[in-house]
Amino acid sequence: MKAKTSLSGIGGNLIAWGYALIILGPMIWILSNSFKRQIDILMGTTIAPFTLVNYQLIINSRQSHFLWNLWNSAVVSVISTLVVLVIATLAAFTVARLEPPRWVTFILLGWALVFHMLPTLTFVGSWYVMFTQAGLHGTYTALILAQVVQGLPMALFLMIGFVMNIPRELVQAARLDGCTYAQVFRHLIFPLSLGGMAAAGALSFISAWSDFAIALNLSNKDTMTAPVAIATFAQEHQILYGQMAAASMLSMIPALAFIMFGQRFVVRGLLAGAVK
Amino acid sequence: MAHLQLQKVGKSYGAVEVIPGIDFEINSGEFLVLVGPSGSGKSTLLKMIAGLEETTSGKILVDGEDITHLDPSARDLAMVFQSYALYPHMTVKDNMSFALRMRGEDPSEIDRRVKDAVVMLDLGGLENRKPGQLSGGQRQRVAMGRCVVRNPKLFLFDEPLSNLDAKLRAQTRIEIRRLHERLNATSIFVTHDQVEAMTMADRIALLKDGKLQQIGSPQDLYLRPKNTFVATFIGTPEMNLLPGQVEMIDGGLWLDGSNGLHLPLSPERQSKLANAMKPGVAVKVGIRPEHFEMVPAGTKGAMEVRVNVVEWLGHEIFIFGQASFGPIGVRVPEGMATAPAANDVLYIRPISDRWHVFDAASGDNLLVE
Repeated sequence: MKAKTSLSGIGGNLIAWGYALIILGPMIWILSNSFKRQIDILMGTTIAPFTLVNYQLIINSRQSHFLWNLWNSAVVSVISTLVVLVIATLAAFTVARLEPPRWVTFILLGWALVFHMLPTLTFVGSWYVMFTQAGLHGTYTALILAQVVQGLPMALFLMIGFVMNIPRELVQAARLDGCTYAQVFRHLIFPLSLGGMAAAGALSFISAWSDFAIALNLSNKDTMTAPVAIATFAQEHQILYGQMAAASMLSMIPALAFIMFGQRFVVRGLLAGAVK
Repeated sequence: MAHLQLQKVGKSYGAVEVIPGIDFEINSGEFLVLVGPSGSGKSTLLKMIAGLEETTSGKILVDGEDITHLDPSARDLAMVFQSYALYPHMTVKDNMSFALRMRGEDPSEIDRRVKDAVVMLDLGGLENRKPGQLSGGQRQRVAMGRCVVRNPKLFLFDEPLSNLDAKLRAQTRIEIRRLHERLNATSIFVTHDQVEAMTMADRIALLKDGKLQQIGSPQDLYLRPKNTFVATFIGTPEMNLLPGQVEMIDGGLWLDGSNGLHLPLSPERQSKLANAMKPGVAVKVGIRPEHFEMVPAGTKGAMEVRVNVVEWLGHEIFIFGQASFGPIGVRVPEGMATAPAANDVLYIRPISDRWHVFDAASGDNLLVE
């Protein structure tokens, strides 16, 4: 029997497509701009001659360092994500299965919640002062440390949910099988929480990759990341719309790849423990 | 295979005392079943022996060595969990060899032991499956295999049959018992099911509220229960407890005077009872459903029972009815011409010496030390 198309079904579809349009519209606009000449963009021509000049300029031109900026983004995002995952998974195992004193858990999760709630810009000022005094301003170290602080809270909550889902008896069985807690982590918790790590890793990577506030304040010319570089296309006398659009498109690719790869893990991660 | 000794082993969470202090021993090669209602502390006690729960007082000795505060990984005990707790990301083979690999045993020796266990537990052909691809019974056997390959000092079982269906449970009961004999192991088995306890145990330890009520062979607990709790916990349908006072009238023993229930007894039992019981004390007379005989209507000293429900089980029939002492359950003796029906009235009398007298206040059996 064929399902009837009900009025509410049509309404639901309309809302979904409307929402998709709100997100996709600007993206399509940027995509089309990246293949137009500056003059066509300024004239507002919808159908304009196709050109790759914007991509050629940001990739090949002597003045552009965009590929280097992408590399910076990759270094900062990948390393900070790895650090976040290591800390979050170990901390989640400790909190969820080693039964530390209540106040330890309380302080850890309280700290995570506060950092997650406050906007990044609140901290950036003090980080700037701290890293400058420590002589670390403009280094990868500064950017990575700041990204770790930024990404850790969510990864921590996600990983605790995941590790809680690993039955207590498994840990007990491994203990009786002669494992120390370190071995339990290596042979049991680590392989069983890979899904959670993929979810937390994808989210952490995307947030670090697309970060603007931290990189704007803590990077210098050599360590400038892609989002900051894109902003520099808006110059004093002119805005290089075409190159800006092309750079945006290029910088979107890794994030998109991660979403495609991490999506099912993210959904599973967010639902961990929700249903039996 | 080892000898386990618990010396005043206790457990408290802060001010809350869960197990006040338990003493008992398990001999080498023995199969001990820890049984009790939920919340009796039996699983907690097992986990304390395993080292998964902290022991707050007393000592646990294995072969004379104090293991009370030893790390569980160093105790060399193996446990089958209620949920089986198989490692989901490992194959059957890897699950079984895990402990040996952690111990760094020789790979060819590991291989040999796993192969032996696979044959012993009839798991051939499943070695490379993961737990998710196995049935409940197979998972249960893998969990046992994981213990068997280690050749541990003690086997601990935490209600391992409760996730199996009734038929498989009866079968696995026998398999576990056979495995125990074959490995000459020392085992502790926790269950809330008194049938499992009765069928599997060399000795049963019955717990209630963290206190040991009685420890002994299944026959001991069934035939000589120390108190009303043991008497009613072991045996289904449970023992009838008839409250009142017993006294000697004209050389016979009566519950509730000469118009009450006559309790036939031997001279030995009579002298034993005379020593144990003060006259006029309130008691409960305990009689198992199978220890009644039918007598003709009007027999002096018989109990009149109006039948409410008849349970026909095939090999036996139970009736549940109402007597002047309260509700009562009776097994219909074999060879009765016509099975009783609801609303029938029957006359029954206890069989000679097959009844108990418990102190009404303390619940203690007056005829068992």
